[in-house]
Amino acid sequence: MSRSKSLAVKYLAAAVLLFGVMTLAGLASAVYYINPDFLFGFVPFNVAKILHIDTMIIWLLMGFMGAVYWFLPEEFGCEPAGIWAAEILFWVFVAAVLAVAAIFVFVQWGPGTETTLWLFQQGRKYVEAPRWAAIGVALVMLVFAWNVVGTALKARRITGVMAVMSVNMVPLVLLYLIAFPKIDNMAVDLYWWWWLVHLWVEATWEILIGCIMALAMMKLLGTSRRIVEGWLYVEVALVLGTGILGLGHHYFWIGTPDYWLGIGGFFSALEPLPLLGMVVHAVYDAGVHRMKTSNQPAFYWTLAEAFGNFLGGGVFGFMITLPQLNLFAHGTQWTVSHGHFAFWGAYACGVLSVCYIALQEQRRLVTVNGSGWVWAFVLLNGGLIGMVGSLLVAGMAQAFFERAIGGSTLEAFIAGQENPWFMLGMYSRFGFGLMFAAGYLTLAWNLSALGRRQVAAVPQPMPAE
Amino acid sequence: MPFDDPAFWRAGAISTTVVMSIVLAMLTIDSLEAIAPGGSHVPPYTVINRHIDYAHNAKLGRDMPTIGQDEPLFGRAVEAPEAAALIERGKLVIQSRACIDCHTFMGNGAYYGPDLTKAWLDPAWEAWAAITGAESREEAMVRFLMAPDQYATWQRRMPNLGISRDEAVATVAYLKWLASIDTNGFPIHFGRIKVSE
Amino acid sequence: MSPVVFLVTSSLLGFMVLAAGAYALLYGAARFRESYALLIAAGFAYAMLALDAAGIVLATPLTPPWKLLIAASALAYFAIPPLTWRALQYAHREEGTHL
Ligand code: HEC
Ligand code: HEM
Ligand code: HEM
Ligand SMILES: [Fe+2]
Repeated sequence: MSRSKSLAVKYLAAAVLLFGVMTLAGLASAVYYINPDFLFGFVPFNVAKILHIDTMIIWLLMGFMGAVYWFLPEEFGCEPAGIWAAEILFWVFVAAVLAVAAIFVFVQWGPGTETTLWLFQQGRKYVEAPRWAAIGVALVMLVFAWNVVGTALKARRITGVMAVMSVNMVPLVLLYLIAFPKIDNMAVDLYWWWWLVHLWVEATWEILIGCIMALAMMKLLGTSRRIVEGWLYVEVALVLGTGILGLGHHYFWIGTPDYWLGIGGFFSALEPLPLLGMVVHAVYDAGVHRMKTSNQPAFYWTLAEAFGNFLGGGVFGFMITLPQLNLFAHGTQWTVSHGHFAFWGAYACGVLSVCYIALQEQRRLVTVNGSGWVWAFVLLNGGLIGMVGSLLVAGMAQAFFERAIGGSTLEAFIAGQENPWFMLGMYSRFGFGLMFAAGYLTLAWNLSALGRRQVAAVPQPMPAE
Repeated sequence: MPFDDPAFWRAGAISTTVVMSIVLAMLTIDSLEAIAPGGSHVPPYTVINRHIDYAHNAKLGRDMPTIGQDEPLFGRAVEAPEAAALIERGKLVIQSRACIDCHTFMGNGAYYGPDLTKAWLDPAWEAWAAITGAESREEAMVRFLMAPDQYATWQRRMPNLGISRDEAVATVAYLKWLASIDTNGFPIHFGRIKVSE
Repeated sequence: MSPVVFLVTSSLLGFMVLAAGAYALLYGAARFRESYALLIAAGFAYAMLALDAAGIVLATPLTPPWKLLIAASALAYFAIPPLTWRALQYAHREEGTHL
């Protein structure tokens, strides 16, 4: 196996491990809603939650990198230009993630000085990592971008998919720089922070996963490159055409002028349209190929990606995106419901699909089968759908009792949180969270055990790691 | 047929992206002007010397902050540089303790604690003033922030985050200024406010 | 907006996109199975969508521009599955599937 592919396998393995840490931290955060005394005084809610969402960003990023390093040698017919740097940085990245996690758990906070932002944490959602670590992440992404763009230059050829990916590297890296500044004015701070959060996840990440899925489809179904590239361009046009100004759905209430109500509502209401097109596409592929592929799990996870992206982003996003309704639902468990469904559907499922593709080749399996992956698939998706359903109930109760009926004060907040519907949502979210965690364990076991027995029965040369 | 040619769609993708980005850039320039301190939507930091309230504006059909008489924090008016220093310090306290991973600010953050956009105006401070033995709202807030676990109102407590008195004062200044931002009517029905004007 | 109307309105919006998903799924299945029954089911899903959109336009307190957007989206949702399907068939025409 090429060096790039070995590195990809490392990235994917690290991603799956971190996915486990994320699940554990998510469960811990969820317990707090049921029993607020849980770990109080040792690991407060915010620390558990920071671990949860930061590991989510990191494992998905690692998954994307793993996917890209996997496909790079095939696209260009040579090793990436800076593979040595990427290999070193992988270990630096892993060490930094461990160090930051330790700081979050054991140091937790520092005095209100810039030093705290440099050494311990920055206290901005999703990008809490201290600046020294953020520099590391920026470096990793720079090398990643260089390996995509630089390899194209080295190979003196470019494919359409890689061209899109290369151009997309520029905003991907530039937007991350928003993780650094300290801006006193909260309105301005949030204004730029949303560029990082929304424009990453609803623009650059969508393009990146679109490229990865395009490569995956060529591999899984043998779709021709010309077709895949045509689709990719259409998708880019639609996703960016609606998603760039769809950013406005986060500018309703942060102090920005009210023209954002119209602009944000309008463009984000269009966002589900391209997602519906992807559903049709998925049905077409599934139907034409009659679900016949040598890699069932990878194929099913790509289907889950198309449907999850549509349901989580399209359906759950659309419920709360018009300003008159967002005024009530804004910043409630309803947001959490949408956030989980969308991130899961749009990105996590895609990364898991690539894991199975890589595994098939690495372990030299003619077909990927068995029932293990089915269990993992059902438990994870079932657990997730149960969680977002529970959160929807809780979110509706919160919006209703705290905002629409209540007066949005501390008293109204408490009334909403203690409402039986809300509590029901919190308990059942935790229950489905356990189901999800069982799915994770099955997945981890399946990924590590898959094909090993076959290898033992029919001796094969071990793939070079 | 042009639809069949990837180059057609590539041109479409590039031009849509460019157009949308240009529009976003223009809107950004305008918005940043509106949200600069002293801009049309965000008062200057010295607003912490004034009385701040939140009322329904019948003309606009939404809730809006109102800025009234002099009402300096702790009875002592501050000049612009001192106000800016307080805000800077307050923001650092907020970031260094990751308040936003329990609370929301203007609805952004985490949902374990109450939204802090209008925390300055929360009627709960009256009760907290009684419990903490404070003479004023700002003093009650300072005492609460320094020992929130001691003055808990319900089972879900805020932990003690080692906030010093100076840090707490700066944070209170920050929260007061935050309450003066025009957020297009969020949060709605705050304290079930009465109609004014 | 009254509290109950708020919940109903956002539920109607979510249901509309959900129905669009069901319509797309059934439409696609009808095409590759060449099943008339599934096509009717798809039509039924779209009827739900249209009904739902009509409900939003007629009975919710959203302002007229938003209602216009909803009505226009309802039409767009009708067109997306057949158009996408045709484009896909056309693109794949050289792969020799019988579809
Ligand atoms: C671990 C979670 C957590 C963290 C971190 C946290 N809080 Fe809190 N906060 C809470 C909870 C829970 C309450 C409700 C407490 C009560 O009612 O007794 C609260 C209440 C408050 C209130 C009262 C709100 C009102 O409307 O009356 C203020 C003000 C406040 N917090 C400010 C802060 C600031 C400033 C920070 C950061 C320096 C912070 N909090 C960090 C959980 C947290
Ligand atoms: C890939 C797709 C998407 C992902 C990963 C995603 C993810 C998220 C996340 C994580 C949040 C919470 C952000 C935070 O406060 O921390 C959020 C908020 C939001 N999303 Fe999405 N989203 C996606 C697509 C969409 C779409 C298509 C729509 C609209 C139709 C939408 C509408 C919204 C709205 C309105 C909010 C703000 C909620 C609030 O006011 O609290 N999202 N999204
Ligand atoms: C066992 C499974 C999980 C549990 C129990 C769980 C629990 C939680 C909890 C309690 C929060 C904090 C919400 C708040 O502030 O009140 C949260 C936030 C979040 N989680 Fe999870 N989670 C799980 C899995 C996942 C997965 C699989 C993803 C994505 C792939 C994810 C993405 C997120 C995101 C994006 C947020 C921030 C959302 C927001 O603030 O709106 N979580 N989760
Ligand atoms: Fe968004």
